[in-house]
Amino acid sequence: MRIAFCGVGAIGSHAAVLCRNLEATLVFIDFDRVEAKNLLAQAYVKPSVGRNKAEALKLQFLNLHGLKTEAMGVRVTRDNVATLCGGADLLVDCFDNRDGRQVLSDFARAHGKPLVHGAVSGDGTFGLVRWEEHFVPDAEDTAGQATCEGGAHLPLLGLLSATLARVIQDFAKEGLRRNALVNLSSVTPTPGA
Amino acid sequence: MATLNITYDGMSADVPVELDRPVSDTDVRRIAVELIRSGGVPGMHLSQLRDETFQHYAVDRFRGARGEERIYLRPKVPFGAR
Repeated sequence: MRIAFCGVGAIGSHAAVLCRNLEATLVFIDFDRVEAKNLLAQAYVKPSVGRNKAEALKLQFLNLHGLKTEAMGVRVTRDNVATLCGGADLLVDCFDNRDGRQVLSDFARAHGKPLVHGAVSGDGTFGLVRWEEHFVPDAEDTAGQATCEGGAHLPLLGLLSATLARVIQDFAKEGLRRNALVNLSSVTPTPGA
Repeated sequence: MATLNITYDGMSADVPVELDRPVSDTDVRRIAVELIRSGGVPGMHLSQLRDETFQHYAVDRFRGARGEERIYLRPKVPFGAR
């Protein structure tokens, strides 16, 4: 199985690390670079600062876990999504913006690709794991709304990433499609599995 | 009988609600404020909750495994985190 993590920031990098036990080819897709501030909330280590995130995660998997993965250090657009994601058996959306999610949604629906989304609210109190068939990207409340940056929300991000990793593993091993709502007091399975 | 799940400020709870007609998203937000103010939501008794607290919240609707109506009131998730 080939699993493509689209966006390996706070959610995607941690979820990917928690999928390292899978007998699957993990593919990381992200155009962004690791910044020092990312070390507080993402699965990157100090020597990765300045590298492309996808390449950095690939290197960390090899150096820290002895695992080979693949990296694509580019931005996913409507023009290249088929090239980047066409070979995947499972798409994992960990993007941080609605437009990117929409590109993946449209591609997955058009080509019948399994797609699961991981998303967190701007205030870091709530997260969502939801399969494409039940997912609608929410609009911003106001234009230019701030994202949750830094390490303030790391516990929730960890819980959300772990939940997403479990959902990915359940799909990879048993074909199950579980959805969940995540907050710091509970992980609530929701209908649609 | 439907179940309303409210997720607010890091907390989440189910509340059974009797709905005799289809309710709009605006109704769901208003009902949630009233329930929380009155102490009708386990673990969430906030008597001073503002009317507009859930103005920007999303409302999801599902059918449960036995066909029961489940309504989720939750924060929007427009972003991941950088």
